Amino acid sequence: MSRLTLLFDPTCGLCRRVHGWLADQPKLIELRMIPIRTERARRHFPELNHDLTSEDLTVISDQGAVYFGPKAWLMVLWALTRYREWSYRLSSPELLPTTRRVVSMISQHRYQISRVVASLSR
Amino acid sequence: MDVTIMTYLLYLGISITLTIWVAHTLHKNGRIFLVDVFHGNEPLADSVNHLLVVGFYLINLGFVSLALKLGYEISSPKEGIEALSVKVGTVMLVLGAMHFFNLLIFSRMRQRATQRNAPPPVTPDAFTPVREV
Repeated sequence: MSRLTLLFDPTCGLCRRVHGWLADQPKLIELRMIPIRTERARRHFPELNHDLTSEDLTVISDQGAVYFGPKAWLMVLWALTRYREWSYRLSSPELLPTTRRVVSMISQHRYQISRVVASLSR
Repeated sequence: MDVTIMTYLLYLGISITLTIWVAHTLHKNGRIFLVDVFHGNEPLADSVNHLLVVGFYLINLGFVSLALKLGYEISSPKEGIEALSVKVGTVMLVLGAMHFFNLLIFSRMRQRATQRNAPPPVTPDAFTPVREV
């Protein structure tokens, strides 16, 4: 595996922030970011259900392996030099349920969180 | 020869011998680690190993030399032995700390090297054809 493609939601402020943060991080694997439900996303992954990608983060490897939601976040951590260790820690049987819960909570409330963050940094 | 000079010479003798022994241990046993870290690239491992040992010598001998001065007069062999034990004890503690610091560096390097080739933490949810244009 040499590249991961992230399908991210450009309409949410939190996702844009994460997008900017990811761009600065040292990586072990190339990360390519494509906005969801765009012509470009459909062209690269013609058989993917693109309506689902607006519900949670989707990550796809160069070999076509699809990771959705919490697994997608773990794959993003795994791609980063400084956080690969954390991807294993958070995906251990003891911590995976908590990771899932926290990630889904953040994803579901991403617009609210974006608003709060935006109002705080104003 | 007076007791102070005798104490100094003994201190130097013991400290330098200890430094050489620890550096030698580090050099001999650290090599295996480094060869593993650099995926069997032995010339590179030897080079890094040598550089580490040089740093180790410089820091330790520097410390030994700075810590030589007693600052008070010694009049009896008893006082000489006491002063010697304090000095040598300090050198040993510093050597020990340096040694563990080196081990930490070795294990960090090794950890990083093994992580680079580690598999993904989770299994995929699905597979989809990828088209690169």
